[in-house]
Amino acid sequence: MLEALRQGDRRVAASAAIMGLGQLLHGQIAKGLLLIALQLSAVAFFVLTGGKMLLGFVTLGSVKANPAMGIEGDNSVILLIMGIFGIIVLLLYILIWRANIKDCYNTQKRVAKGAAPEKFKAELSSLLDKNFYKTALFLPILGVCVFTVLPIVFMILIAFTDYGGAVIPPELVSWTGLDSFRKILSLGQFAPTFFKILGWNFVWALLSTALNYLGGLGLALLYNKKRIRARAVWRGFPILAYAIPGFISLLAFKFMFSYGGPINQMITGAGGTAIGFLDLDAKWTARAIGLFVNAWITVPTTMLLATGILSNIDESLYEASRIDGASRWVQFKKITLPFVLFATTPVLISQFIGNFNNFGIFYFLRGGLYVDNYFLASDTDLLINWLYNLSIDNNYYAIGAAISLIIFIITSIISLAVYVLSPSYKQEETFR
Amino acid sequence: MNQKLRRLGSNTATYLVLLIPSIIFLFPCLWLILASFSSSGSIYSFDGFFPTSFSLGSFKALFTDTVMYDYPEWFKNTLFIAVMSCLLSTILVILTAYVMSRFHFRSRKALMKTTLVLGMFPSFMSMVAVYLLCTQFGLINSSWGLILIYSAGAPTGYMVQKGFFDTIPSAIDEAARIDGANNFTIFRKITLPLSMPMVVYTALTSFTWPWSDFILPKLLLKEKSLYTVAVGLMSLGETEFARFAAGSVFIAVPIVILYFCLTRFLVSGLTAGAVKS
Repeated sequence: MLEALRQGDRRVAASAAIMGLGQLLHGQIAKGLLLIALQLSAVAFFVLTGGKMLLGFVTLGSVKANPAMGIEGDNSVILLIMGIFGIIVLLLYILIWRANIKDCYNTQKRVAKGAAPEKFKAELSSLLDKNFYKTALFLPILGVCVFTVLPIVFMILIAFTDYGGAVIPPELVSWTGLDSFRKILSLGQFAPTFFKILGWNFVWALLSTALNYLGGLGLALLYNKKRIRARAVWRGFPILAYAIPGFISLLAFKFMFSYGGPINQMITGAGGTAIGFLDLDAKWTARAIGLFVNAWITVPTTMLLATGILSNIDESLYEASRIDGASRWVQFKKITLPFVLFATTPVLISQFIGNFNNFGIFYFLRGGLYVDNYFLASDTDLLINWLYNLSIDNNYYAIGAAISLIIFIITSIISLAVYVLSPSYKQEETFR
Repeated sequence: MNQKLRRLGSNTATYLVLLIPSIIFLFPCLWLILASFSSSGSIYSFDGFFPTSFSLGSFKALFTDTVMYDYPEWFKNTLFIAVMSCLLSTILVILTAYVMSRFHFRSRKALMKTTLVLGMFPSFMSMVAVYLLCTQFGLINSSWGLILIYSAGAPTGYMVQKGFFDTIPSAIDEAARIDGANNFTIFRKITLPLSMPMVVYTALTSFTWPWSDFILPKLLLKEKSLYTVAVGLMSLGETEFARFAAGSVFIAVPIVILYFCLTRFLVSGLTAGAVKS
């Protein structure tokens, strides 16, 4: 870029001043006119609406709505979204402007070598050949920007405002810096709930990941035994559980453990009193049921994965160890486990993160319960469930956004640390 | 003789151990299937786990008694959303993966790193924002809103497919290029036909995701006539248990059959994704 500006001739300078002018001077009429039209429309956009968008992003609105006076007022949330949109357009414009300067400089180099400037038609057809990647990636990148990047940026920014609670449009939202984080970590209302949930969230993630991993590995080893006949049939049962859509399993288990459910019917039938497995005061029973249900749903996935990995272990390793007199247990400890751990570290991390953010389990089993001593949450809720309760059900948007940022920080630090400390990262070559 | 006996004993033990997971995994499914054939709807009329008398009534009611719970409509909505987003996301994912595998343009590494970081944000975090965005842009209560969100987010999961394209030797491309084919033609005429297994895998996974997702539809569809099966089934109470069971069985069976036919395929996809990323 700097090189282009320093080494470029007056045509490059012309392009830097007015997009497309340099191209016109090179005789590339179509491209030059196209770029000039683009610049004109960009200027028109920023004069007419874009400028207001950027201003709105900073102030988040200054006129409060007042229906009695007939004042329409500013909607802070729309101003924020449109502000982000305006910034994206501005960045896009800068990118095109840079590409235009570089393009002019490249043409200059081309001409210096004695070739003619590239024809417009040739450049268009390169979009299906040399530059096919630009054509192909246009839609995916656009989609990801609008539906993944824009929401994430929006959410990050929301965490630094006071949006939520009583402050929702038509009230005006304003920037408040780190206030939401301060509220979560120190304010009486949020802080105790936050730390209680955070603690349980870690316990849950560890226990469920360990349970699913060991369960899946155990099943895979069991089905791998040489003597078993009709292996496919036995293996079919967990695959059945794997194939059933998750929400069906979750709802079915909720019915199973409900007051009128079959387990309680059998208890009352035998003369006992019904147990509220998922009731308000069922803290650890409900947690244990959550662990079991989650294992029922995810163990089959781990089993399939472990089966695939086990089939990759070199048989001769076992032969050699048998000759050396190693017992089954030693073989498992020295060959199978290190190999499987090595191959599945990335999966282990993603399963841990997945469990840390496992929304479905307790949303279905105990959704909508609020327990005493918890602020809008129950004692089985994970951070992600609390986030849902706060922002979707109760409009605490800024607090919710701050919590999701905290979740992001925690999970990314953990995955990075585990990955760096793991054998698959330290000794990449071990099993090659 | 003694050895034979010992082997017999150990075999019996193995099969006994095998029975435990089988029962754990089969029992809830069996319970649901039998419940769907019960003649009375409420869970309270069951004798313990199983219904006292059987009939096809629940399935009939599912499709005829649609005043309160319009299952056929839910099913149509789900099918429409799943098929459309499956088509769109498959195209987008395959294109992205192909380009990321074959073109070594300058911002490629940056793009790959960005997708990695984007993947670390809890997917739910953007859900709340998507909900807010959709309320602003009028995409609440619209099937197309869901389809857009499902397929627009799909390209970030291109890694498995990229790994597959990496294994197709580029010598084939070179040969075609000498014959004067451009990159688009090579993709259409050579790479795509060679990657049919991967296309099928991608289509399957991008079909089952909207087919069984409940978070987004629950968030964005407030009108009863627009419900998907997942949201609809969630609204059924204990007295409608047989209807719930029948509805579940009806949408689970096709998926289960598909999975059983394609198990080998899914395993290779799972393993490839695991080792590559």
